[in-house]
Amino acid sequence: MKYIRKILVYVILSAGGIFMLYPVMWLIGASFKSNSEIFSSVWFMPSEFDFTPYINGWKTFGMYTMGHYFLNTFKIVIPRVIFSVISSTVTAYGFAMYDFPFKKIIFGCLMCMLFIPQTVMIIPSYMMWDFFGVLDTYIPLILPSLFANEGMFVFMLVQFFKSVPREIGEASRIDGCGALKRLLFIYVPCIKPAVISVAVFVFLWTMNEFIQPLMYISSVEKYPLTLALRMSADSTGQGYEYNKIIAMSVIGLIPSVSVFALAQKYFIQDITAGGLK
Amino acid sequence: MKKIYNNPVGESKYTGLLFVMPFIAGFILFGIYPFVMSFVLSFTDSGINSSPEFIGIENFRRLLNDSDFHKAVAVTLKYILMLVPLKLIVSLGTALLLNMNIKGMGFFRTVYYIPSILGSNIAIVIMWSFLFTSGGLVNQVLEKLGIMPVSWYGESNPAMFMIVLLRVWEFGSTMIIFLSALNDIPRELYDSAKVDGAGKIRMFFSITMPMLRNVIFFNLVMQSITAFQEFNAPFMITGGNPMKGTYTVSMLIYDEAFRYYDTGYANAVSWVLFTMTALFVAVLFRLTRKLRSDDI
Amino acid sequence: MNYVKHGRIFLIISTLFSFFIMTSCGKTEETAVLPDGKLDKCTLRFSWWGGDDRHEATLKAIELWNKKYPDIKIEPEYGGWDGWTEKLNTQVSGDTAPDIMQINYDWLINLSKDGLGFYDLNQLSDYIDFSGYDTETLSFGMREGKLNALTVSMSGRGLFFNKNVYSEIGAEIPDTWNDLISLGEKFAEYGKYPLDLDIQTGASAWYLCIVYVQQLTGKQFITMEGELGFTPEDIQTALDFYKSLEDNHVIRTVKQRAEDDGSSALYQSPKFIDGTVAGVLEWGSAVGKYQSVLDEDVLCAGNYLSSDNGNRSGWLIKPSLMYAVSDNTKYPDEAGAFINFLLNDEECAEILGTSRGIPASRKAYEALENSGQLCGISYDSSQYLLDTDPVTLSPYFELSQLKEYYNTAIEKLSYGTADSKEISEELYDKVKKYLERIK
Repeated sequence: MKYIRKILVYVILSAGGIFMLYPVMWLIGASFKSNSEIFSSVWFMPSEFDFTPYINGWKTFGMYTMGHYFLNTFKIVIPRVIFSVISSTVTAYGFAMYDFPFKKIIFGCLMCMLFIPQTVMIIPSYMMWDFFGVLDTYIPLILPSLFANEGMFVFMLVQFFKSVPREIGEASRIDGCGALKRLLFIYVPCIKPAVISVAVFVFLWTMNEFIQPLMYISSVEKYPLTLALRMSADSTGQGYEYNKIIAMSVIGLIPSVSVFALAQKYFIQDITAGGLK
Repeated sequence: MKKIYNNPVGESKYTGLLFVMPFIAGFILFGIYPFVMSFVLSFTDSGINSSPEFIGIENFRRLLNDSDFHKAVAVTLKYILMLVPLKLIVSLGTALLLNMNIKGMGFFRTVYYIPSILGSNIAIVIMWSFLFTSGGLVNQVLEKLGIMPVSWYGESNPAMFMIVLLRVWEFGSTMIIFLSALNDIPRELYDSAKVDGAGKIRMFFSITMPMLRNVIFFNLVMQSITAFQEFNAPFMITGGNPMKGTYTVSMLIYDEAFRYYDTGYANAVSWVLFTMTALFVAVLFRLTRKLRSDDI
Repeated sequence: MNYVKHGRIFLIISTLFSFFIMTSCGKTEETAVLPDGKLDKCTLRFSWWGGDDRHEATLKAIELWNKKYPDIKIEPEYGGWDGWTEKLNTQVSGDTAPDIMQINYDWLINLSKDGLGFYDLNQLSDYIDFSGYDTETLSFGMREGKLNALTVSMSGRGLFFNKNVYSEIGAEIPDTWNDLISLGEKFAEYGKYPLDLDIQTGASAWYLCIVYVQQLTGKQFITMEGELGFTPEDIQTALDFYKSLEDNHVIRTVKQRAEDDGSSALYQSPKFIDGTVAGVLEWGSAVGKYQSVLDEDVLCAGNYLSSDNGNRSGWLIKPSLMYAVSDNTKYPDEAGAFINFLLNDEECAEILGTSRGIPASRKAYEALENSGQLCGISYDSSQYLLDTDPVTLSPYFELSQLKEYYNTAIEKLSYGTADSKEISEELYDKVKKYLERIK
């Protein structure tokens, strides 16, 4: 009985998995196809395997190779992951565990920042960073993450901190732990899956970010991968070879997929845990 | 009357303030200016390269008679109502499934997250048109089943459904948050329930659901906020067509700001959207107050 | 920082938030730097969007420039089309635009309402040789008497056909409007369509209808000065013409097209690739993408359609790309010299080839003619244009808001939610009002 159920679960998961995975398989196949084949066939297998798109795509046509743009992306992503995780955790801890003057108003401000469409923030933000004199640097992309600018993560971690049983915190207080120590050694381990998911989200979303770097970075030398990928896509002009762009976006997926694959085991705290078994 | 701050014994009422200092500093340094600028601009007539002119509430008056805006609001609300419940159910269900401790689960968790990594990759646009165009896979299957083929791109409701489907398919992040929360549930609760002879379904409703309530609330609020601002999915898949049947408020804001060069109006619409979102979220907070553990 | 433009807003914000650092600034308006008669040592930013060909050619041209003028360094800023408008708009708003930029024709309207949005190139006549341009071509870059931009290339919007499909079916490439209409029947037998008019991009459906009525009446839909030249009746004629194309199976209905292709552009549509749709209306400068999905030599340029009595007027041409100099540049002379190099230098022209279309400057054109780089269907189409009596497209015609009105009208007509009379009146009102507002 248990055996049959296990097989059933595998069948369901595999069937769903194909739906999830097929576009990526198709994408990999498409990197070997010609333009007309890309747009006329849903079957992922290309008619022939030819790695020229990968070689040409990587080399690009001139100034820098794709490797350069990869490196640029990491220069933005890595500090941002670290800063966001630290600042969001600390801020969320304050909101979740303490009562203080103007708490509701401050939390309201945090939520309000989420409600306004980013489209209309683009130009004013651009002018602000221009005033600070840091356009065409990575500062506008990185610095705000030091200040818990992603309200969503704070809001999320607040919910997780709240779910930690009160007794755990009380016990540590009796042991004479300071507030910061308690956060670091008692609370954070309790919500480790959530903290790691914040790190993973920041990583993946920054990897895919387009509009912000587009606005703030003008030198081709400093382009991150997302800008570099679209660098030769000109739908107004003479057209372009999709396979090269697709080939590079396939390579661009590798870091994201690997980071997720490595991180996913931490979403499950220990082997014995599990809701339904 | 003096306010009483309910803090742990021996902690000053300012300790919490110290912890949220990063946010406050960032808000003052980088947050306020664009925020206020946008608010002020909503009372002006301003383009891209011309000086703004104050026109009072003219932009807001124009909103009242703008049938495109009314339609966009209706489309957005419909979208929220279709998407949010569906996405929450699918991601919670999948999280429960992927939380099982069997071999190869890590692989499946990665696979189920992949659509969310793709973001707005070109593959999605092409896949969706292979699936839903007239000779596409979905219609072929429908025909085999003896059901009339659907005009997915040609009619408003099916087009909307296609977009909802895309966002449901990208349920990874919501699922991960559920997954993380599922693991915070102390194992002992289930063990003792088992001893009491509780069944799977009862355990789900009496242990899992209550323990997840904060996170369900979080996902509900966050998904609603994101859905209010939905831009990318309709922009990619339908371009707002047909007959503006999938044209959301955020697309309208984008068009006004960057295509029609009407910055003032774009900001006015944004603040109306802001108010609608804020009200919606406030209602959610209020309605669920009793169900959640605390009031933030 | 844009103090002047947003001065009033600053004032308000600063009173509200006096602690905020941005308050103490009260810079005065910076007037444009005047030419000083000599070329200084400097670095200039030059921005453009495009594909690989254009990037590669332009970088090579810059290299050549750097060899010739090592003192004036050109810093390239380039990228794909996605988001480029947003980026340039933001830069212009923030007064941080590059010194020299490639722009689109219709951007002049919004980026330089009063002619002061860009540097007046007339002041740079010491450095820019205008002799390769006739006055008409120059006038396209004029705003309020100021020469804001120079035309890089001109382009006509013509018809291109899949000649394999045409010969398979035994159909002739159409020469008159009636030819086109009568093609529908023949193509219908094979389940194919002789043409596609896409409302998703570029409002090409409305465009063809306009040409038809312009040829019929001799009026211009929107004049160069931004007046609406059509009456509601003219608009109705245009809409009825569109409907007759759908009814005669010349083009797919809007709904049919959406069902077949989703929201993809025509060149990404399997129906175009497999020849179900065998024709397209496109600017000569942008037809390459359609060519690239078909086998070589399958797509050919068609003639510009005429009436039965041989009247071929009414077709439209426009500057497909322009160069402008930022009004904030510190080195206008040097920027002028560089533009001159891009547009007129023979060696440079040979390097750039047709990566920005067929050059409008006679000097560059001749250089390409001599080196034999003028060929292909884009060139064929431009040759057909010589026998017509083309009208220059008004810069107002392609404003995004107007395109949206055209598309809505066509969509309503095609879906049958209103009749052509109703729609034409509505469209007339909307366009008229918008033009009045924008001017």
